[in-house]
Amino acid sequence: MDGPDVGWYLILAAILFGIGSLGVMLRRSPLVVLLSLEIMLNAANLTLIAFARQHGSLSGQVFALAVMAVAAAEVAIGLGLIVAMARRRIVLDVDEARALRG
Amino acid sequence: MIAGAWVCLLSPFAGAVAITLAGQRVSRRTAGWISILTTFLAFGGALVAFFGLWATDPSDREQLSTAYTWLAAGDFEVQLQILLDTLSSTMMLIVSGVGGLIIWYSLGYMEGDDEERRYFAYMSLFVFAMLLLVQSGNFLLLLAGWGLVGLASYLLIGFWHERPEAVAAAKKAFVMNAIGDATFALGIVLLVWETGTLEYFGVFEDVGALSTTTVNLVALGLLGGAVAKSAQIPLQTWLPDAMEGPTPVSALIHAATMVTAGVYLLVRASPIFEAASDVQHLAAILGAVTLLVAGAIALVQWDIKRVIAYSTMSQIGYMFLGAGIGAYGYAIFHLMTHAFFKALLFMSAGLVIHHLGGEQDIRRMGGLRRVMPRTHVAFLVGSLALVGIPIFSGFWSKDGIISSARATGGALGWSLWAAAILGALLTGAYATRLYLTVFRGEESAFAKEHAHVGHGEGPRSMLVPVGILSVLATIGGLVVIPGVWEPFLTWIDETAESLVMPTVAEEYQISVLAVALGVAGFYVALRAFRAGRQVVTNSGVWRVLEHKLYFDELYDALAYRPAAALSVVLRRNVEEPVVERSLDEIGTGTIQVGGEVARTQSGLLRSYAIAIAFAVFVLVVVFVAVR
Repeated sequence: MDGPDVGWYLILAAILFGIGSLGVMLRRSPLVVLLSLEIMLNAANLTLIAFARQHGSLSGQVFALAVMAVAAAEVAIGLGLIVAMARRRIVLDVDEARALRG
Repeated sequence: MIAGAWVCLLSPFAGAVAITLAGQRVSRRTAGWISILTTFLAFGGALVAFFGLWATDPSDREQLSTAYTWLAAGDFEVQLQILLDTLSSTMMLIVSGVGGLIIWYSLGYMEGDDEERRYFAYMSLFVFAMLLLVQSGNFLLLLAGWGLVGLASYLLIGFWHERPEAVAAAKKAFVMNAIGDATFALGIVLLVWETGTLEYFGVFEDVGALSTTTVNLVALGLLGGAVAKSAQIPLQTWLPDAMEGPTPVSALIHAATMVTAGVYLLVRASPIFEAASDVQHLAAILGAVTLLVAGAIALVQWDIKRVIAYSTMSQIGYMFLGAGIGAYGYAIFHLMTHAFFKALLFMSAGLVIHHLGGEQDIRRMGGLRRVMPRTHVAFLVGSLALVGIPIFSGFWSKDGIISSARATGGALGWSLWAAAILGALLTGAYATRLYLTVFRGEESAFAKEHAHVGHGEGPRSMLVPVGILSVLATIGGLVVIPGVWEPFLTWIDETAESLVMPTVAEEYQISVLAVALGVAGFYVALRAFRAGRQVVTNSGVWRVLEHKLYFDELYDALAYRPAAALSVVLRRNVEEPVVERSLDEIGTGTIQVGGEVARTQSGLLRSYAIAIAFAVFVLVVVFVAVR
């Protein structure tokens, strides 16, 4: 099989996932949190495709496509929310948006 | 013929349904006529069935007719079926005939009552229930009729529901009857268990194969039901209180329906009782005790209807005695003559009550012979038949039972005989006391005020049935003259063969003795009346009798008070602390837990994300490590 071993892809995906999750946990700007989420999703996509390629099966790729569709929808909603917050002059800081506190 | 029996069964039911559905669209009077005509239609059906049976060959006189299978469970089936035989055809005639006369009488008695329609619907239901009871072809349908009779009596005793006493009396009757129904139902369950059938003939065939214990238990269960329904000791307390209902209801309960059901059951289930002869003798003993106790209590009561009610208990005691020693023919014969003269007594008492504006206390009556001559004659006929004076119907039937006890012999037979003959003395005394106090002597101030000569004694619809019953109470006994003409006894013998048959000589000897004692009772009461005192003069005895031997107080202490006390204790120690408080605590506890959990919901998005990431991390570690 051409190209690097599947292990490398998995390591890359793990690094991407770690970056993404750290971004979600540490950054306060909703825009960046959203970007970080996308990175996590694509890390997962990468593992799916890597395994699909290793096994020569299409089903992993199909899953990746489904994840992309979900991600696109999510971005649309998330960006919509952020625009709405900006229009209402709400501070774009996830730590300030805590109306759901019990 | 069998169609007549079905008409007899269903027409009072149709009457009840018609009155109920018609509601206010028919006048009260029309409702009354619907009830009367359907009941007499039932009587017509009973006549057709009776004469059809009469013309049939004696070997073919047990006819089962099945409408459909009512209930089926595996091999066990119960059909909606009626049995037409000599016993049931006789009972059909008594129930529908006397019942029809009583309902006819009600037309005048209940006139002007606000809820006449409801009254007539209940009366029709009562007659239907009793007909179902006597016509059913198996024990389950018998139980259904049994329960319906209890329901109808409850509704009618409590008919004047705005009176608390009436409601209490209705409840009492229902509870007492429910005890009997329960033992009856248990007996039936045992029968199904052991024989697998409830159809009369099937059960009676299998009785011989059952163990003694089983037969005794079944018979005891049936006897419990009979004792409750027929108001025998120890379940008798409901009957005097049932006088709270309208007078025609009392007449119906006492003469045509309800209390005779127990006697019918003893005769109908005679193969079971014969197999359990100890229980059968117990029935006779209970009857003997009841006839003495009730006769004695009747001597001290002041309410005209209660005196007659105790007299009913006493006479049913005679029937139990007869059925208990196996004199089935005489028991049913006495049931019939008793239906005539007891309905007559109640209806003439009703005329008196009606005339005096609802007064029932005999101390306020007196000297009514002058203002109510026809009622006086009717009451006198009823009393003579009750005491058992020759020619009158009660003479032939009661003496038959007493001489059957004599013919049974042995210690049991002789003691039953002694009780029965002593009962004749009591009967003479209380009947005479009642008659003299109400109709003879000086007119009381109250009677003068309310009763007037030429005032009329009542509407025709009340007087005609009383007249018919007077004739029946006089000549109704002539269908049996010992040694000469006994069609009634041979007729009943075809269904339930009597175990004892007194010789003709015995019958006539006993008759002389019984009549002599009845006359002695009459004389005792007459002397007491002339002297202006009561028959019972000892004040201690009087008090005991007036309290009905303290049965009510006994049941109060044995059943009601412990139950009430237990309820109070349970309320205080279980309901309040456990049920009520625990509900509160579950509520407050949930709120508290909710408050604690809510504190973890900080609303900080990043802390949620960290929590999720940490949880996933832990899961992965565990997953890898455990594997």
